[in-house]
Amino acid sequence: MSADQFVQYLVSGVTQGSIYALVGLGFTIIYAVTRVINFAQGEFVMLGGMLSFTLARSAGLPLAPAFILSVLITAAVGASMYVLAIRTAKRASVVSLIIITIGAAIFIRGIAGVLWGVEPDRPPFFTGHESISFLGAYIHPQALWIIGTTIVVTIILHLFLSYTMVGKALKACAINPVASSLVGVNPRTMALIAFALAAAIGGIGGVVMAPLIMTSYSVGVMLGLKGFVAAAIGGFKSPVAAVFGGLLLGIVESLAVAANWGPFTSSYKDAIALVVLLLILLIRSGKLAAEEKAS
Amino acid sequence: MSRSVILETRGLSKAFGGLVAVDKVDLSVETSKITAIIGPNGAGKTTLFNLVTGVYPVSGGEIYFQGKLLNNVPAHKRASLGIVRTFQHVHLFGNMTAVENVMSGQHPRSSYGFFEAALRLPKARREEEAISLNAIKYLNLVGLGTYAEHDALSLPLGQQKLLAIARALATEPRLILLDEPGAGLNTLEKRQLSDLIRSIREMGISVILVEHDMPLVMGIAEWVIVLDSGQKIAEGTAAQIQKNPKVIAAYLGEEVE
Amino acid sequence: MLALLKSKWQYPVIAALLVLLILIPFEGFMSQYTTLMIFIGISTMVTVGLCLLLGYTGQVSLGQAAFYGMGAYFSAVLSKGYGFNPWLAMLIGAAATGAFAYIIGYLIFRLKGNYLAMATLGLGIIMWILFRQLSQFTGGPDGMAGIPFLSIGGFVFDTPFKRYYLVWLFCLVILLISQNIVRSRTGRALRAIRGSEAAAESIGINVDQFKVKIFVLSAVYASLAGSLFVHHLRFVSPDTFNFLASVVLVTMAVVGGLASIWGAIFGAATVRILSEDLLLGLGEWDIAIYGLILMVIMIFMPEGLFVKLKEIFERLRLRYKRRGAEP
Repeated sequence: MSADQFVQYLVSGVTQGSIYALVGLGFTIIYAVTRVINFAQGEFVMLGGMLSFTLARSAGLPLAPAFILSVLITAAVGASMYVLAIRTAKRASVVSLIIITIGAAIFIRGIAGVLWGVEPDRPPFFTGHESISFLGAYIHPQALWIIGTTIVVTIILHLFLSYTMVGKALKACAINPVASSLVGVNPRTMALIAFALAAAIGGIGGVVMAPLIMTSYSVGVMLGLKGFVAAAIGGFKSPVAAVFGGLLLGIVESLAVAANWGPFTSSYKDAIALVVLLLILLIRSGKLAAEEKAS
Repeated sequence: MSRSVILETRGLSKAFGGLVAVDKVDLSVETSKITAIIGPNGAGKTTLFNLVTGVYPVSGGEIYFQGKLLNNVPAHKRASLGIVRTFQHVHLFGNMTAVENVMSGQHPRSSYGFFEAALRLPKARREEEAISLNAIKYLNLVGLGTYAEHDALSLPLGQQKLLAIARALATEPRLILLDEPGAGLNTLEKRQLSDLIRSIREMGISVILVEHDMPLVMGIAEWVIVLDSGQKIAEGTAAQIQKNPKVIAAYLGEEVE
Repeated sequence: MLALLKSKWQYPVIAALLVLLILIPFEGFMSQYTTLMIFIGISTMVTVGLCLLLGYTGQVSLGQAAFYGMGAYFSAVLSKGYGFNPWLAMLIGAAATGAFAYIIGYLIFRLKGNYLAMATLGLGIIMWILFRQLSQFTGGPDGMAGIPFLSIGGFVFDTPFKRYYLVWLFCLVILLISQNIVRSRTGRALRAIRGSEAAAESIGINVDQFKVKIFVLSAVYASLAGSLFVHHLRFVSPDTFNFLASVVLVTMAVVGGLASIWGAIFGAATVRILSEDLLLGLGEWDIAIYGLILMVIMIFMPEGLFVKLKEIFERLRLRYKRRGAEP
């Protein structure tokens, strides 16, 4: 493999990884604040993409408002999911919550299938489709948008969590819900914000990814899984680590396919993420089990 | 180590990260006696229980049960060795009746498995008979015989605690660890509890209890061990402990019961 | 609560249902439902395993279709591709699936709650990918046809009529075995684990080992079901065993009742009938409806639909009895 090819694969890996990073961010936020693993996280990405397609093409809206509206609608879906499904479930067990979020994911996916049909779609590119040359490889401008958006989102999120009242309240709730409720932080409000925020970030990911990587109603599951891997690498606690995890997964996937040795042909690409997932879970499970016992 | 010591710890320690919960504790518990472990909140009493029952791995030191090293024995094997405990928050099996809870306690004293159960082989049926009979016996022992078919959680707290003790007794232990058995009980219930603990001792079972209720402890304990901040600071008879200046000092700043 | 259900109506009702079950495939009675009932019976076998897993250990498998598929493919490949005796193939499939589940379960059960769900989800998808990709064995995405019938001596199970009885024999045996397990020391241990893992351990129950055993049991059930499935359909393809299939299985278990064995029939039947009749008419709404069912049931009746219905029935029965007792 030549240096050029290597860079090409690296770029593609970082691009894909950025999407995983955004999904992983959403997982991390929701888990940190509510201890719920939101199986519907991938569906938020799907929604962002599908909505932007409809608004940009069919409704004829200019790109920027279509983008923003898609994200807002997705955030609203996330918030509704929390209010209607999670909050109503009150003292549901861990297993019940898992099944509820799976149900929500399937529901959202089903509705999307009805609304948009089963054909994949592609919204228009943000800034044309002339590939830019970069370190001997060609990078599609949309890919730059994807990577750039991920960086911007991560920075803004970090600033939000560290410097705004709401952000700090979210963090406090994540670290210690009981103590933070004692100082006036309402855990239900925080949960609502967490879901809306995670959905919005997912939606952003979908909007920015859809023009480059065709989207359809069924992309949610694999994206959700890979975003979960990203979040798992980050230990479900640190958003930045989740971003790192997502990028890492994207690069590993891409290079494994590039190396083309053994079973890692492109058809097995998805399996790579899953194997990584299982490895991480196994490695961490020893630590997890000990932590759980102690609490 | 003499025959009359059922449980012994040497230099037992447990640390959670930087926090040392149990700090080089040496103690020995005599067989067939009622031993109490007391101390202010955070003294490490429940942690000590968790070490003896295997819930936490030991950070340092050894635990000996009937002369044999206990450190690496997994938690679920300790019941068949003869160590059982009750929990501060009861931890009954809420999806079962009272008698089913006690029958569960017979688990380490029965052995038929999936295969025999699936095909209802004679061995399974025989053991089930014995389990049922024993469960009723232990329920009667704690005075809950008439509540056998009641849902475990439908009982008031005092009786739930008795049920938990019945379940523990069903494991046919040599040593029973009671974690705050008196918490949440009224005076009458505490008296019944004291009587029960004494009859357990009459059965030859050694009892260790962690308790905050001083009158209860002083009324039944034959030996008292005092912990503070993870260390053993005193031990003796109830009368000796009450006069021990170190013990009094440790409890100063604690609310007087 | 179980005691309440041992009412005097139980035995006549069971007898009537058994008679109904036996008569269904006969012409002039309800023979148009024979094939549907075969699928319900097969689905029930998988659902029972999930009910046991979910209801008695509080663990969820989001990849159960993987085990179903393994049984199916072992039977298909060994009997069609390598000429094995179909019964032997079924046995090998069950043993292999069980062993695989044992290894995976042993590794995975150190995970708790959320992580196990994701792990089984991932596993399910990996198996689906393997079914698609290992085309030299499995026939790839287009599947494999021409799978032989099951037969005993000269008697070949070549009509739905004959296969109906075979499937339901398997199904009822599995249900009875499961009931025996639940009513035993093993069942108590499982319920104890669901009640309080800490307390269960303190009375000598090896929590992890039990979870693994139940996981293996559910995998073996699913594998047998998969084998019966391919010897009925005589065709197998990977998309039968995708993520959605696992979700449908969880839906069946949830409708049937998380800890209910006989409710598994109810759950399997309800979801099957829904998907065949109602949802076919509604087209692509079926996916959304599965999701809705899962959410609604788990939010409002987390013990499962069938169990909830039983509760309501019992309450009504008691109220009726009380009224009847008044002079």
